[in-house]
Amino acid sequence: MYVSPIREPLIRGEKDYSQVTKDILAPMAGKPSKYWYMGITLSSAALFFGAWATFMTVYYGIGEWGLNKTVGWGWGITNFVWWVGIGHAGTFISAILLLFRQKWRTSINRSAEAMTLIAVACAGFFPLIHMGRLVLGFFIFPYPNTRELWVNFNSPLLWDVFAITTYLLVSLIFWYVGLIPDLGTVRDKATTKIRKAIYGFLSFGWTGSVKQWSRHETVSLILAGLAAPLVLSVHTIVSFDFATSVIPGWHTTIFPPYFVSGAVFSGFAMVLTLLIVARKALNLEEYITINHIESMNKVIILTGSIVGIAYITEFFMAWYSGVEYEQYAFLNRAFGPYAWAYWIMMTCNVVTPQLFWFKKIRTSVVATFIISIFVNIGMWFERFVIVVTSLHRDYLPSSWVMYKPSLVEVGLYVGTLGLFFTLFLLFIRVFPVIAIAEVKSVLKSTGSFKKTAHHE
Amino acid sequence: MNKSYITAYYTDDDALLKGVRQLKEKGVEIIDVMTPFPVHGLDKAVGLRRSRLSRVAFVGGAVGGLIGFFFQAWVFTKAYPINFGGKPYLSVPSFMPVTFEMAVLFAAFSIVFAYLIYFKLTPGAKPVIHDERSTDDRFLVVVKAGEPDETPNIERALSEAGAEGIKLKA
Amino acid sequence: MEPKYFRSLEELKIDTRQETSDKPAGDRQFIFEMQQELKKSTTASRRDFLKVFGFTVASAAIASSCQQPVRKAIPLLIQPEEIVPGKASYYASTFFDGIDYCPVVVKVRDGRPIKIEGNKLSSLTQGGTNARTQASVLGLYDNARYKKPQTQASAATWQEVDEAIVNQLDAIKAKGGKVVLLTGSVISPSTLQLIDEFLAKYPGEHISYDVLSASAMREANKKTFGKAFIPSYQFDKADVIVGFDADFLGSWLNPVEFSKQYSKNRKLTDGQKKMSRHIHLEGSMSLTGSNADERIQLHPAQEKETIAALYYALEQLNGGGHAKNISSPIDVQKIAKELYSKRGKALVVAGSNDPESQLMINGINNILNSFGNTILTDVELKLRKADDADMARLVDEMNSGKVDGLFLFDVNPAYDYPQKDKFVSGLQKVGLKVALPVYEEETAALVDYICPDHHYLETWSDAEVKTGFYSLGQPAIRPIFNTRAAQSSLLKWLGNDTDYRAYMQAYWENNLMSMSDSLTFSSFWNKRVHDGIFESGRKEEALAAFDASTALAAQNAVKTGDANQISLVVYPNVAVGTGKHANNPWLQELPDPVSKACWDNYIAISPKLAKEMDLEDNDTVNVAGIGDLPILIQPGQEYKTLSVAMGYGREKAGIPATGVGKNVFSQIELAGSNKQFVKHNVSIEKLGGTYEVARTQSHHSMEGRSLIRETTLADYKENPISGNEIREEIKKHLKTLYPKRVFDGFHWGMAVDLNSCTGCNACVVACSVENNVPVVGKEQVIMAREMHWIRIDRYYNGDENNPTVVRQPVTCQHCDNAPCENVCPVAATTHSNEGLNQMAYNRCIGTRYCNNNCPYKVRRFNFFDYNGADAMKGNRKDPAEMTTDLRRMVLNPDVTIRAKGVIEKCSFCVQRIQDKKLQAKNEGRQLRDGEVVPACGQACPSEAIVFGNLNDKDSKISKYYADDRNYHLLEELHTLPSVGYLTKIKNTTV
Repeated sequence: MYVSPIREPLIRGEKDYSQVTKDILAPMAGKPSKYWYMGITLSSAALFFGAWATFMTVYYGIGEWGLNKTVGWGWGITNFVWWVGIGHAGTFISAILLLFRQKWRTSINRSAEAMTLIAVACAGFFPLIHMGRLVLGFFIFPYPNTRELWVNFNSPLLWDVFAITTYLLVSLIFWYVGLIPDLGTVRDKATTKIRKAIYGFLSFGWTGSVKQWSRHETVSLILAGLAAPLVLSVHTIVSFDFATSVIPGWHTTIFPPYFVSGAVFSGFAMVLTLLIVARKALNLEEYITINHIESMNKVIILTGSIVGIAYITEFFMAWYSGVEYEQYAFLNRAFGPYAWAYWIMMTCNVVTPQLFWFKKIRTSVVATFIISIFVNIGMWFERFVIVVTSLHRDYLPSSWVMYKPSLVEVGLYVGTLGLFFTLFLLFIRVFPVIAIAEVKSVLKSTGSFKKTAHHE
Repeated sequence: MNKSYITAYYTDDDALLKGVRQLKEKGVEIIDVMTPFPVHGLDKAVGLRRSRLSRVAFVGGAVGGLIGFFFQAWVFTKAYPINFGGKPYLSVPSFMPVTFEMAVLFAAFSIVFAYLIYFKLTPGAKPVIHDERSTDDRFLVVVKAGEPDETPNIERALSEAGAEGIKLKA
Repeated sequence: MEPKYFRSLEELKIDTRQETSDKPAGDRQFIFEMQQELKKSTTASRRDFLKVFGFTVASAAIASSCQQPVRKAIPLLIQPEEIVPGKASYYASTFFDGIDYCPVVVKVRDGRPIKIEGNKLSSLTQGGTNARTQASVLGLYDNARYKKPQTQASAATWQEVDEAIVNQLDAIKAKGGKVVLLTGSVISPSTLQLIDEFLAKYPGEHISYDVLSASAMREANKKTFGKAFIPSYQFDKADVIVGFDADFLGSWLNPVEFSKQYSKNRKLTDGQKKMSRHIHLEGSMSLTGSNADERIQLHPAQEKETIAALYYALEQLNGGGHAKNISSPIDVQKIAKELYSKRGKALVVAGSNDPESQLMINGINNILNSFGNTILTDVELKLRKADDADMARLVDEMNSGKVDGLFLFDVNPAYDYPQKDKFVSGLQKVGLKVALPVYEEETAALVDYICPDHHYLETWSDAEVKTGFYSLGQPAIRPIFNTRAAQSSLLKWLGNDTDYRAYMQAYWENNLMSMSDSLTFSSFWNKRVHDGIFESGRKEEALAAFDASTALAAQNAVKTGDANQISLVVYPNVAVGTGKHANNPWLQELPDPVSKACWDNYIAISPKLAKEMDLEDNDTVNVAGIGDLPILIQPGQEYKTLSVAMGYGREKAGIPATGVGKNVFSQIELAGSNKQFVKHNVSIEKLGGTYEVARTQSHHSMEGRSLIRETTLADYKENPISGNEIREEIKKHLKTLYPKRVFDGFHWGMAVDLNSCTGCNACVVACSVENNVPVVGKEQVIMAREMHWIRIDRYYNGDENNPTVVRQPVTCQHCDNAPCENVCPVAATTHSNEGLNQMAYNRCIGTRYCNNNCPYKVRRFNFFDYNGADAMKGNRKDPAEMTTDLRRMVLNPDVTIRAKGVIEKCSFCVQRIQDKKLQAKNEGRQLRDGEVVPACGQACPSEAIVFGNLNDKDSKISKYYADDRNYHLLEELHTLPSVGYLTKIKNTTV
C-alpha cells in the first residue's frame, strides 16, 4: 500500500501491537476520572429536566408547547431533524470511507458509530413525543387489526418510520459486528473473573481465526456497501417530510442532496466536538491525531460549501419560479421577523467553515473545536428556519402568526442532549473507543511500528 | 490417528505470512491461524475459498424489497383501498422509500446472521483459547501433530519457519 | 364469592368471556369496580383467576383504546309519539330578548333543545338569524340561571313569595301607593294586555326601558307625524342607501331583517344585473360601514351639520325652501344628487339618538319621498318602544320615594343604566322590589323577591314585531329549574290562576283569529303553533300629513360641531351586544367582524391619533375616566373618534362573563332626555401599562395576493369575468400526473357569494353549536389556538387611515386533491366517495402534519383536553366552564366531541347530509337540491352560502360554479377545492 511520504503518520509515537491494546483499553480499566463524574452528573441532570418536560407534554398535552393553529411543528421536529443529521457521520465514516479505503477513519469510526446510534435514538424520541396521542403511537406500524385498517404509505412520516428504524438497526449491527473482535481482545485482557465473564458473553466466542477474519472483512465490506446508500436515503426521506408538501419554503426539489450534505456536515462537526474532548480526556492524542482532525475539517469545508450553495440556489429558484408565495417565503426568511435565526444560520454554516481553507486554522485543535460548535448551532438553526419560518407565514395572511417555544419544549431538547452525553460517557467506559484491530492492521503502513523481540 | 496438535506463535504478521507459506510447502497440515487483526494474504496462504456471503446478501435484499413492494400494493389495491388526496390506489412512486428500506434491512440482517451462525458466534459461546495474547500481539499457528513419530519433524519445521513457543497439546 | 365448579372447559371459557363482553365496552368504572370485588374475594379459585385475567386484559385494552366512556342509554318505557330516540324534532318559536327579534325553529334531540335555526316562514327574516340568536340556546343551560324563587335573604317557595308579594301589593294599593312595572320593550300583545290588567288592579305605571334606545326617532316622528313610533324600513326597495352611523347590519333596530333586505338588492346571481349603492358616513368603523360601497369618515361632532347640509342641498335640488345653507365638512352635493336622482328609491337612515338629527332625516326622506316607498309608516316596527325621558323620570321618582312597588322584568338597570348609582340609590327607597330575571344579574341581586322567569325555550310567548306580523313561541323543553313564566307570575299576583298559555290562547282567540280565514280556533291555533308565524296584513291607521316645519326648524338651529376634540362612541358589538348574553362563552369567543378581537372590550383608536400619542396595540389608556382599557388601533377609524363596546364588565353574571372587560355605560349621557351614545370632549391619557387583547387574526393585509377578488359594478356589467381574469390564466397551467378522480353519485360542494357576506358571524356561532366546537378561552386565543371550524378572514385595502374592507368566510375546502390526506401516516383523514374530506378522530394520533400541509390552515388541533374526553383525569382545560353537566346538555349527539391531541375541522356537516339522505331513502325518492344545508348556510341572514351536489347540473351550486364570478381559493395549487367563491362587487359607480 503506497503512503505518500509527505503525509504525517496517522498514529504517532513508536508503538507495537500490545502497546496499542494497552493504550486503547486504558480508559476502560481503573476508576473513572473526576471529570467523568462531573460530566455524568451534569448530563443526567439534563436528562431529568427532559423527563419532567415529557411528563408535562404527555399529561397536559401538546398545548404545553408554544405551537398554534398555524405552526404545527416547532422545536420538536427541528430537534428531530438535527439529531438525525448528527446521526449521519458515524455510518458515513465507517461505510463510505471504508469503501474509499480511507485508512484515517480507523481511529475514529468506532466512537463515531456509537455517536450515531445514540443520536438516532435521540432523534427517534421527537416524532414520538410530538404526537398528540402518544398512547396510540403504535398506530403508525402496519399491524393487522380488527378494523383491517393499515397505514398510509403515501405519507413521508411513515417513510420516516421505516427509514429511521432500518437505519438504527443496520447501524447497530454494523457497529456491533465491528466491535466483536475488540471485545475478544478485552475478554482476553480482562483481569477480573466478572469482566472476563461479561466480555466473554459479549464477544460471542471470538477467536480471531483466519477464516473468521476473512469473512468478517467480507461482511464489513458488504454492510458498508449497504449502509452507504442507506445513510444517503435516510436524510433524503427526512427531507421528503418537507419536500413533498405544498408549503412555500418546504416544497423544494433540492432538499434531498441539501439535507444529506447538511447531515454529514453537522455529523462531522459533532464528531469533532466529541473527539477533541475525548482524545484529551482519554489521552488518545497519538491515535486521534491532528491529521484526523484535518481530514474531517476538509469534509466539513466540502459539505459546508454544498450547503451554502443550496441556500443560494433556494433563493434563486424562489425568484426564478415566479411564484409569489415562494418569493415571499424566502424574503420573509431573510428579512422577516425571524431574520435573526436566518442570519445566525448563514454565519455559522456558510461563513465559519470557510475559515478551514487556512491550514493554520484547519490544523488548530482549539479553532476546530470552536468552529465545530458553531456548525452545530448553525445546523440547528437551519432546521428551525426551515420548519418555523416557512409555516408561520404561508398562503393566507389571515392565518399568519408568530411562534415562540415554551419551557417544556426547551426541556425536551436539553433532555435529549442529556441522554446523548450520558450514553456516550457510559460508552467510553465499557467499550474500546477505537477499533483496536483496525488500528493494528494499518499500524505498519501508516504508523511508526516499533519492532520488539520477544523472548521467554 | 491421534487428536494431538501443536501450537506455535509469531510476533509479527509478515513473519507469520512467510512461515505459513513455508509450512504449506512442507506439507504441514495447518488447522488454524489466530491473529489479533486481519493479516492480508493470509487467507490465500492457508488456501481459503472465496466467500459466498455476497450471494446471501443479494437474496436477502431481493426478498425484502419484494415483500416491501407487494405488501404495500396489496394493502392499497386489495385489502383496503382508500382515496388519499386523489392519488390512484396503486401509486408506485409512493411505495419506493419503504421498498428500498425493506431491501436494505433484509440484506443486512441476512448476511450478519449468516456469518454469526456459520461461525457459531453467539452470545456466551465458549471457544478454545490456546493463547490469550492471540487477540493482542501474537499470531498463533495451530498444526496437526500427526503420528507420534512425525511430531518432532513438524516441530522442527515450525522452528525453521520462525515460529516460537512451540507446544504439543493433546 | 362462594366457589363454583365448572363441568367443561367450554363452560369455563363462556363464563369468563361473558363476564367481560356482556358489559358495555369502555365502561371503565365497571371494570375497576369488578376488579376491586375480585380482589376482595376470599376464595381465589381457578375461575376467579381466569376472571381477573379476563378483566385485566379487557380493561387494559379498553383503558388504552377508549377515550370516551360509553354512557348507559335507558330506553323510554312509554314512548311519547312525537319523540323518536335519535331523531330530532323541530318546534317553531320566537327569539326576543328585548333587543333582537327573530322567528326561529328549535331543534330538539331526545327532549333537549340543541340548536336554533331561522324560521323560513317568516317573511321578515326568511330563515335568517344572527350570532346572538344562534347562541341563545346555550342560555337555556346557563350555569348562572336562577334556579328557584328566593327572597333577598334566602331560598323560598313560590307560595311564600306569592303571598308576600300579594300582601305588600294590597298594602300599597290600600295606601294609594304607586306600583311601577319596569320592562324592556314588550312586543308581546298578550303581555301588554296583561300589564294593563295588572295596573288596573294595582294602580301605577308601565315604563319601558331600552338599553339601545331609539327614543329620539320616536320623538322626531311625533313631531313630524303626530305619533311616536318607529316605521319599518325597506332596504330592498332602496337603490341608494345613505347611512349616518346607523349599524343596520349589526345592531340598529332589526338587523336580521335588514341584512336579508340589504343583500337581496345586492345579489348579482340568477340574472340580476343591478345592485343598490350604499354610502355610509361614520366615525367609528362599524360592520355596516365596512360593507358600504363608499365609506366616508365623519367626526361624530359634525354629523348633525352634515345632515343639515345634505338637507339643504336636497331642498335646493327640490326647488329651494327654507333650509339654511350650512357648510359641511364633506362634500354632500354628490350624495344629494345621487339621492335625488333616485327619489322614491332612496333611503337615508341615522343611528343618532338626537331628535334634531332624526327630524332632519325625516325631512330628507320626505323630500326623497321615501315615506310609503322605502319607509312604511303604516307598518310600525314595535321594537325600541322606550322613551328615555320616562326612565329618567322614574329614577327621580324612586329617589324622591314616590315609588312604592317596582317590578323589574327583562331589564338590568343596575348594570346598564348610565346613572346606575342613582338608580340603585333610588331602588333602596322602593318598598317592594320584585325582579323576574332569567339569569343572575346585578339588579336582581338588590331586590326583595326574585321570581325567576323561564328561558324563552321553556315558555309560551307571542310577539308582534311589526304591525300585523305576529309570531308565537312554544316551550321546547319542560322547565329545567323551579322557574315560572313572568306572565304567569303576574297572573298569579292578580289572583288569576289560569297559566299564561291559556291566557295567551284566549287573547289570540279574541283578538287575532278574526284576522285569519280559519273557521275554528283550533285549526287557527294549531296552524299558528306549527308555523310559529301569523302575518295578518293588519295596517296602522293613516297618520297626519308630514309636517316639515319642525324638521326645518331643527335644520335652522343646527350649530357646527368641533372636529378637533375627541369623541367617544359607545356601541354594541355583534357578539355580546348590550351584555345581556355576556355569560355565553360562544359569544365571548366570537371575534368582532371588524377588529377580530374577542374576550374583551377595548378603545378603538385611529392609526393617526395613536401615532401622535405614540400608542401601540394593547397599550392601556384612560379615556374619560373609564379606567385602564387597552387600545386597539383600528384602520378606518376617524382621526379623532374613539369607540368602545358596551356589554362588558359584568359584575354578577357567572363564569365567564364576570370581570371580562369594563362597564362603559356610564359614558352614555342623558342629554335632553335622550341617551347620547356619543360623548364629546373626552380626555385620553396614556397609562403606560399594557394589556393584551385576544385577536383571531393578526395580519391584516392581503399582501397583494388574489385571495379575495373584487371589481366594480360598472366593470362587471362590461365583462362578467372582471376581477376574476387571473382564473383563466391559472386554469391554463393546471397539469396533473394522475387522472382526475370521478365521483359518481354525490359530489358535495359549497359556494360563497362574497358580495352577500356581510361578516355578521352568525355562521361561526351556528357552526360551533352544530359541531360541538370547544371554547378555549382568552389565553388560548392569544396563543392563536381558537377552534372555530369556519372563520371570516378580513383584510384591509389601501391607506391605513381610510381603507376598504373585504371579507371571506373560510372553512375546510374539501379539496379533491387534498394535501392533508397524503401526509397522514395513519390514514386518519381520507376522501369519501362523495368528495368529502373526512376525519377519523379515533384514528388520529395528532402528528399535526395535515395541519401544516393545509394551505388554507383550516384544521384545528386539540392542544388540551377541552371537553373532558381525555382518558387521563385532572388535566381538563375549560376556562369558560363549557363542560359543566348543565352546559353539556347543549352538545349535539350526532357529532363526537374530540379528545386531547386530535385534529378536527369542518365536515360540511356530514351528519346533516346523512340525515337528509336517510330521510330521502325512507321516502323512496332522490335528494332534492337545497335539501341539505350545513349549519353555516342555514344561519346566514343574507344567503351568502350555497351548498349542494356538483354532479347535479341543475342544482343551485352548479349554477354558481358556472358563474363567471366563481373562483377557488389558491386554485393554482391544484388542490381542486370543493368550495367556490363569487367575486365581490362594489357599486362605486356614480
